[in-house]
Amino acid sequence: MSFFNTTETPSNGSCAADGACATRRPRYDVNETEGSYDLTVNLPGVARGGLEITDEGGQLTIRGQRPVLPEGRAVLHRETSDAAFELVLVHDNTVDASKIEAELKDGVLRLKLAKSESAKPRKISVS
Amino acid sequence: MRFIHFTQPNARAFAPSANFGGRLGAGIENQIDWLFGTALNGFTGSARSGQFPVDLYEDKDNTYVRAELPGATRDAISVEIVDGSLSIQASRKEKAGEGETAVSYSRLVAIPDEVQADKVSATYVDGVLTVTLPRKEEAKPTKINVSVN
Repeated sequence: MSFFNTTETPSNGSCAADGACATRRPRYDVNETEGSYDLTVNLPGVARGGLEITDEGGQLTIRGQRPVLPEGRAVLHRETSDAAFELVLVHDNTVDASKIEAELKDGVLRLKLAKSESAKPRKISVS
Repeated sequence: MRFIHFTQPNARAFAPSANFGGRLGAGIENQIDWLFGTALNGFTGSARSGQFPVDLYEDKDNTYVRAELPGATRDAISVEIVDGSLSIQASRKEKAGEGETAVSYSRLVAIPDEVQADKVSATYVDGVLTVTLPRKEEAKPTKINVSVN
């Protein structure tokens, strides 16, 4: 199942020398059903305008931008980071790219990725 | 140390791989810190864990608590001030195939004492809960005029 061979670092290597990366990988779940993969990605703070989903070369890339907080506030304690979210999943064309359905609600992106015909189990009859 | 990725999905598929989260070049201390961090927080990068991060900010009028609660059911979000701490509770229902799983979030955040508890407000936008806690009037920095004779 090539969905689990995810890249750990951003694909274009945008990490600085000390290991600080410009993007973060969001938390996500993949649930496989008979005809599709259901992908749930946590993208808190991302609105539709900041979300970009592209599928290219057997690889699905999800990028989410978060709005910058207003100026004039002092930080007391931070557990989040302002870095954009980036998730790259390699599916090797087991997914039919023209039939991807996506819904973004309350910071959760739900994608339904229909399996391509070649990935579905096929019965082979013996003559 | 090497993590072996199996092709069948299991817990190891979500375990951090051996590149230490991209910090290979960062020195042995950072690598060990990162390993401890993931071990204590659990290996789940799952979207359904019950923990959530909060940020605290302040300006001269308010203290702000920002919590990332993606997918929470609006009616189930409850924000309370309890004994000088802010209690944030929420729950989230997820349909997974035939069944429904429910995740509950809960966290107590320490807040400064000088807060007007009756004027606290909260908004929930795009999965982020922002609680605005106005500071008490006497706690705001006041300018004192010094008259010189």
